[in-house]
Amino acid sequence: MLVSAVAIQAYGVLRLPTLMSQIINQGIVINDGAGDMGFIIITGLKMLGWAVLSAAGALLSSFLSSKIGAAIGRDIRDEMFRKIMSFSISEVDNFSTASLITRTTNDIATVQQTLMMMLSMMLRVPIMAIGAIAEAVALAPDMTWILALSVGTLIVFAILILSLAMPKFMIFQKLVDKINLLTRENLTGLRVIRTFNNQGFEERKFDKSNSELMKTDMFIGAVMSLQSPVMMLIFNGTSVLCIWIGISHLTFDASYLGKMIAFMQYAVQVIMSFLFLTVLFVMIPRASVSAKRIREVLKTKPKILWKNTGGGDRAMEPTVEFKNVSFKYPGADENVLIDVSFVAKAGETTAFIGSTGSGKSTLINLVPRFYEATSGEVLVDGVNVKDYSSKGLMKKIGLVPQKGFLFSGTVKSNILYGVDGGDIEKRMKEAARIAQSEEFIEKMPEKYDSRIVEGGTNVSGGQRQRIAIARAIAKNPEIYVFDDAFSALDMKTDKILREALKPVTKNSVTLIVAQRISTIRDAEQIVVLDKGKVVGKGTHLQLLKKCNVYREICRSQLSEEEFRKELENAGA
Amino acid sequence: MPGPRGLVQKPKNMKKTALRFISEIKPWRKQLILTIVLSAVGVLLTVFGPMILGMMTTSATTSIAEGKGILWDEIIRLIVILLLLYVVSGIIAYMQGFILTRISAKLTKKMRTQILEKISRLPVSYFDNVKIGDVMSRMTNDVEAVAGQLSNTINEIVTSVVMIIGILGMMLFISIPLSLVALITIPVSMILAKRVAEKAQKHFRKQREVLGALNSKIEEDFTGQLIIKANTHEEASIDEFNKTNELLCESSWKAQFFGSLPFPITHVLTNVAYVFICVLGGWFAILGKITIGNVQAFIQYVNQFNRPITQIAQLSATIQQIAAAAERVYDFLDADEESVETGNLTPILAQEVIGEVEFHDVSFSYDKEKTVISNFSAKIEPGMQVAIVGPTGAGKTTIVNLLMRFYEPDSGYITIDGKPIRDMKRNDVRKLFGMVLQDTWLFSDTIMNNLKYGAGKNIPDNEVRKAVKLVGIEHFIDSLPKGLNTVIDEDSDNISAGEKQLLTIARAMTQNPPMMILDEATSNVDTRTEQMIQDAFSRLTKGRTSFVIAHRLSTIRNADLILVMKNGNIVEQGKHDDLLRLNGFYAELYNSQFSDDE
Repeated sequence: MLVSAVAIQAYGVLRLPTLMSQIINQGIVINDGAGDMGFIIITGLKMLGWAVLSAAGALLSSFLSSKIGAAIGRDIRDEMFRKIMSFSISEVDNFSTASLITRTTNDIATVQQTLMMMLSMMLRVPIMAIGAIAEAVALAPDMTWILALSVGTLIVFAILILSLAMPKFMIFQKLVDKINLLTRENLTGLRVIRTFNNQGFEERKFDKSNSELMKTDMFIGAVMSLQSPVMMLIFNGTSVLCIWIGISHLTFDASYLGKMIAFMQYAVQVIMSFLFLTVLFVMIPRASVSAKRIREVLKTKPKILWKNTGGGDRAMEPTVEFKNVSFKYPGADENVLIDVSFVAKAGETTAFIGSTGSGKSTLINLVPRFYEATSGEVLVDGVNVKDYSSKGLMKKIGLVPQKGFLFSGTVKSNILYGVDGGDIEKRMKEAARIAQSEEFIEKMPEKYDSRIVEGGTNVSGGQRQRIAIARAIAKNPEIYVFDDAFSALDMKTDKILREALKPVTKNSVTLIVAQRISTIRDAEQIVVLDKGKVVGKGTHLQLLKKCNVYREICRSQLSEEEFRKELENAGA
Repeated sequence: MPGPRGLVQKPKNMKKTALRFISEIKPWRKQLILTIVLSAVGVLLTVFGPMILGMMTTSATTSIAEGKGILWDEIIRLIVILLLLYVVSGIIAYMQGFILTRISAKLTKKMRTQILEKISRLPVSYFDNVKIGDVMSRMTNDVEAVAGQLSNTINEIVTSVVMIIGILGMMLFISIPLSLVALITIPVSMILAKRVAEKAQKHFRKQREVLGALNSKIEEDFTGQLIIKANTHEEASIDEFNKTNELLCESSWKAQFFGSLPFPITHVLTNVAYVFICVLGGWFAILGKITIGNVQAFIQYVNQFNRPITQIAQLSATIQQIAAAAERVYDFLDADEESVETGNLTPILAQEVIGEVEFHDVSFSYDKEKTVISNFSAKIEPGMQVAIVGPTGAGKTTIVNLLMRFYEPDSGYITIDGKPIRDMKRNDVRKLFGMVLQDTWLFSDTIMNNLKYGAGKNIPDNEVRKAVKLVGIEHFIDSLPKGLNTVIDEDSDNISAGEKQLLTIARAMTQNPPMMILDEATSNVDTRTEQMIQDAFSRLTKGRTSFVIAHRLSTIRNADLILVMKNGNIVEQGKHDDLLRLNGFYAELYNSQFSDDE
């Protein structure tokens, strides 16, 4: 349908010069210059008809191509979003969140735009070009070589200019990136630069890249400035040739007058079409880079597949157990976790401590099956996490990540994010109270209905974290997972909050990853990790006595005097 | 930047911006005038083209009709004139383009330099209130929009105007009635096109809104994917996404469709005019009122007339965009700068400073309504360690801001070695302090150059090595592929947060300043690195007057003076034991840190 709309549009436009040449040949020049006014008017009406028909075709084709383009854009976007939502964390890590965002926003926008252009141009341009050539050949076959000559010159010239400018374009892009980088550095490092009095140094550095950029810009400008004059020259040269050759035919064929004028107009159409084609060829590489980046995402298969059913009701005595669990990131050489085993029981807090890279965050991410254990088993309530459905497993888990992440919406919609049903109002307030958020929420203008903007930037970092904790509490999960969730709070709030949590967690398993000794010293079980291995398991006092790594950590966080006292308490 | 096209941003004060822009390009006024003259001449030359072509046709047809055959002498003379015309106008057009792109490039450079230099002259407080992305977009998109489009725009304005005048003149010269027919369709098509364009604007606006909503949804959901998964909200999230996606599809095809409408509308009108001209021209030719060559020329003129007119119509939108972009650049360039330092400034040399700092009755507020520090006085002896404590958001960096003269006190003053710092050069004051902040800023260059950053290029390499050794990161640096010459990238993943912090400490050490400002907050660092950082800190502060934003008990206990901050105010000051005895906010803060202690 689109093709026929385009064809009508093109054909309509292309009829006009031929009809006009008929006006000249059979309307004006005929009868020894006396003309045939009737013929002129009839042909004029025909021309009008074609013009209107062609416009209708144009309307229809642009209607169809906009609709098709937008629909394709929508479908790609939809497929992309679904795909990424099905990714497990390791696939997301692979691409990085930022890159996935650009791929879904900018890349799709580029592809869609190019697509819309192509739909209307890609079809019209070749049809126009072929149609115009056909008409021109039919009209005056012995003048076609003019077309070949001018199109040929045009192509040679376009290639010449592109090959001259393209390498410089690459350099230009690199320099622009460099300038952006330098500007960004100047902005983010503002205080440092001033402290070190290096404004002058930064300015000189910037100036160097800036000057290089200017020179490249000038070179490209000098080359690209050639484009339009040369194109015009080719254009005009073609007109001159047409008339010249046309005139030389006039002596033996008077009908050449109209043909020659019509031919000139077809020549213009052909050259224009080829010009558009070169524009398309410049656009396509850009879009194809984007298309490639989109395809990469769509081709990725999620590694973690869930069962459709699995996972029962709330267990009376929930547990989390790791049996000889090892984990390796895909493509990595070394294991992040090596042979980790422990049991976390209901009503107890199990804490994980260790240096960065010791694998404690990875470990905790195995519980909600964000990653898949490379070997060994992760059991929740005695059942392997692989045998749960995603819903079945997740409803047991209340997760608070390191960075309190809030969705745009209201305080209420955020706290109740994981809740579906029950006495919602009461649950929300209770959760807020425990998470030490009641006070500041009540102070907000619309309390629980106060707006949370994107990224939660209208509340402070500490408040964000507390709402995130409230969200986990409101879910009333069997298993609490706090991934370093307390370090954003000041020590005082940290302490009160953990105190308030105790009654709600008495039938739940609590897993905490922490940096601060003070956060975990009361835990029933502390698991000390070092380079992926469990090097100690026990209570604070037991570990002080027997675990070297743990003692080291304590020493670094306590003063000499306190540390000595702690050791005495432990009887070490 | 990909984004919905067709949206016009309007400048607030077009006239003012335009005047300023004109003064901006003054240095190039001679070249600019030259290009305008050149393009006028060039275009005028080409305007004669169709006329001469027509003369050729007429000459041939009449001479054939008169039975004389083709007068080749005349034809060839005309061809030579034509070719000369085209070649000369081509050369002129190239010269004009060449000069304009050069001016454009120079102007772009100038504007970029202006912005960068402005960044270093603006007070730090300015950047506390703006987003980095905002300044970045002025530096990139807006400068590009202003200077980059300058050459195209000037070029188009001049050629279009000259072309319209020239073609109009030629058409009127050939035949006034035919010109009238051609001209009637122009206002009609322009009005129609404008109507449709207005309608399209509405859809473009809608499209932009929906696209914005969709993009934030994508950003939000991808960033919070962990939470979505943990609450099995994927389906709900996809449903929500689909609703917005559907809306976007709807508004984007409408925008695209209505945006493309002016094209067929003007096209059909031009074609109607074309038909009328063919018919009328034919009639006139029969009547002998017009030569056949002139009909041919006239048709060519009509075909050429359309382009400059649509260009001029689009130009007003482009000019508005340029003005809006220029305005944003100027807004930034006009922001209040740090005051110029004049008068008799006390010279001060880092090597001679012993580090006695005194606050004399200092009051300060970020905004006039809420005083942050009121009548604060304290004397810090050389070598003393001052700890600043308080909960998150208590305004601990305010003291640092005042000391470094990022902000100035409202009343009272600060002295170093008895000399008021407000009488010194800002840069001299800043040189006295080494600073290690939580935000570990390193620039993309080699580690060596980063470490030399404060002390200058002249510092010998072995000084840097000494600092590296003192901080204890020798081993780490040796493990890097190129050692000290390893390049740190913007997002260097080969270096952890803790290692970055250690590098900034080494940088401060190389600088060897008489006083130090440190931020102990190191939340994302493992315990061993933490230990290293702490050791390095104590080496740094040894023998130097230091201000520490404290997070460690050992630091506060050993501090010579503790400033306790709450809600932006200094609520208590003194030594650890005295403050505990006071049993106020400090005691509360301190006691909450250990649950079963004492």
